[in-house]
Amino acid sequence: MDFSNFNAAEQAHMTKVIEKRQMQDFLKLYATLVEKCFNSCCNDFTSKALSSKEDQCISNCAEKFIKHSERVGARFAEINAEIMNASQNKS
Amino acid sequence: MSFLGRTGSMNGNASGVNSEKVEMAVTELDTVTDFFNRMVSSCYAKCISQRFAEGDLNKGESVCVDRCVSKYNEVQKKVGEKLQARGSANAASASSTFGTLS
Repeated sequence: MDFSNFNAAEQAHMTKVIEKRQMQDFLKLYATLVEKCFNSCCNDFTSKALSSKEDQCISNCAEKFIKHSERVGARFAEINAEIMNASQNKS
Repeated sequence: MSFLGRTGSMNGNASGVNSEKVEMAVTELDTVTDFFNRMVSSCYAKCISQRFAEGDLNKGESVCVDRCVSKYNEVQKKVGEKLQARGSANAASASSTFGTLS
């Protein structure tokens, strides 16, 4: 996305919107990660505390999801850059 | 914000913000974010094993994710083309219908 043709007030507004969205995205990520990792790691309710196995599973699960989404982000950025280059070469 | 005065924008309001332009940008931001989030969850469901023996993506998962992102984008393009074709076909038939009516 290109905001270079925005004036100062518009850029300030966009920054505010983006910050708000980032906060919302973070909270959403937090909630989905809790749900995902709880569902795949916690299946035994004979104890109320997390077992060491569950604890390990949860930290791997969270770490793996973050790495996954970073990788998707990197590939997505590459594809977008390619599209941008292609459209620039055309014009 | 109004004390900043007009900042050169011809069609801006008092605060210098062209609300239509900003709204378009916000919509674009939301669309791209939504697309990205959907891609993350689809590729996660299809590529990542639910056995969390380690915190890293293994080789197979990494390759799968790379291909998944590429495919997801291709699907987006294809579906977009289909919708566009249908849209223009509809527009053509609609205009011909209205053409006979008027």
